[in-house]
Amino acid sequence: MLRDTQISVAASLLAGDTAIAAQIRAGKLSAARRIEIYRHNVFANLRGALKDIYPVVLAVVGETFFLRAADEHARAHPSRSGDLNRFGGDLAVFLGTYPHAAALPYLPDVARLEWAWHEAFHAADAQAFDLADLAAIPGDGHAALRFLLHPTVRLIKSQFPILRIWEVNQPAFRGEMEVDWDAPADALLIRRDTTDGVTVLIERVPAAGFAFLGALKKNATLDAATSAALGIDAAFDLQGFLLESVRKGVISDFMKQ
Amino acid sequence: MFSRHPLSSTCAGIGLRTPHYQDVIAARPEVGFLEVHSENFFGDGGQPPKYLARFREDYAISTHGVGLSLGSTDPLAANHLQKLKRLVDAIEPVLVSEHLCWVGVNGRFLNDLLPLPYTPESLEHVVRRVGEVQDFLKRPILIENVSSYLEFVDSNIPEWEFVRELASRAGCKILLDVNNIYVNAINHDFDPLTYLNAIAPGSVGEIHLAGFEDTGEILIDTHGAAVSDAVWRLYEYAIARFGAVPTLIEWDTDIPALPVLLGEAHKASRILNASAQRLGHAA
Repeated sequence: MLRDTQISVAASLLAGDTAIAAQIRAGKLSAARRIEIYRHNVFANLRGALKDIYPVVLAVVGETFFLRAADEHARAHPSRSGDLNRFGGDLAVFLGTYPHAAALPYLPDVARLEWAWHEAFHAADAQAFDLADLAAIPGDGHAALRFLLHPTVRLIKSQFPILRIWEVNQPAFRGEMEVDWDAPADALLIRRDTTDGVTVLIERVPAAGFAFLGALKKNATLDAATSAALGIDAAFDLQGFLLESVRKGVISDFMKQ
Repeated sequence: MFSRHPLSSTCAGIGLRTPHYQDVIAARPEVGFLEVHSENFFGDGGQPPKYLARFREDYAISTHGVGLSLGSTDPLAANHLQKLKRLVDAIEPVLVSEHLCWVGVNGRFLNDLLPLPYTPESLEHVVRRVGEVQDFLKRPILIENVSSYLEFVDSNIPEWEFVRELASRAGCKILLDVNNIYVNAINHDFDPLTYLNAIAPGSVGEIHLAGFEDTGEILIDTHGAAVSDAVWRLYEYAIARFGAVPTLIEWDTDIPALPVLLGEAHKASRILNASAQRLGHAA
């Protein structure tokens, strides 16, 4: 009985119909108006969550477009948690199929970048490890090593200059907002700074380095990850990149096999 | 280990939101406690837990959940409960509270505090759920009465009786939101004093105050304004009835500068102090 009521209330709030009107006391206001008030609150909460997570998408498309898209997104990809910080991970997917966003083909990738930023902001802490631990491993054990990326690391590739789009849409940005649409594809590493533990950093990495980190993220051995990197650029300074990644805490742990 | 700072019942607290983090650290205002929304600290790491650990150095912390969906007929979300427990174990809050509402059903969340029909079935359901949460957290929780804009035809228990029975049967305390009582009294046309008089002294563990918006057709609990005069009067009545209960000011939309929020808290503290003094004289 209670369950039936909840299921019909939820359906009416999302669909915007008045199927449950008979279950609601009218009084000073009609049942329809009362349902409308709740529907407004529900969508306002979901809109607010998306605005917090996607300020750059919001800046690019403007408030009116954003809110309409947010409402349609919420119907197509409903919230699955009582924690609103977990809502909105499907916005990029939604925007990729949203007819009104078709003229902005880079928009889904901008949304992916912002979701990655959001995830990196909240992901677990981890300490950088000591290179001396690695040096203690005999040379013949290196190929089977598996390096673990810091829990905050996210990797995003885009054919569009999404980092530049992100930068010029930051509140503190001053200067020319021009975007070079012919710039090479962005291969981005998103992570938290291990020095302060809180600042989210976004940086471009070379294509071979991106392939290397991508392989590690999929739990590849050092041997396999090396092949992935050198397959893209045989002259890539992999050792330098690996040591730098360890030093910066992009790689935060390793397993011997 | 208990939180270093005890809960004050004569110095009101404030709901702490991100725009005030830096100001609170810099000014270290004198408030009874800081209350945060539990879900904002469900992340695994980074800045939010660092901030909370920092605030815990200087203040008693209370955690207030908005998403557990206690009244839903879905099973309690294991993941949500585990994150709440992790937070509670780490912070050891002086108070842990949730809302008397449901937030979603069938795995689909509306992320708003939706009212229940007040029926024996709902009461039994919520009593059981509060028990599950308290067993899982291994500590008592407080349940807050919510503001509402609709009532169900099926409701056959007055809200105040429902709240009173819930506290008595589930062994939880009541987080009495006096603003929500006022909002509901106007929206659903009842006497707010009837509500307060129905609640047993001793069962109220915390009081919330906030501002509403009068749209002309209904009062909306926006947490976006100063506490109204009518709610202050109701609050004085509540304190006279329940004694000096830890009190919190909430402000969540159109968040003002910190001193404005502190001004509201100081106003509540004056009422709490006056009540404590009266009791002192009487003793």
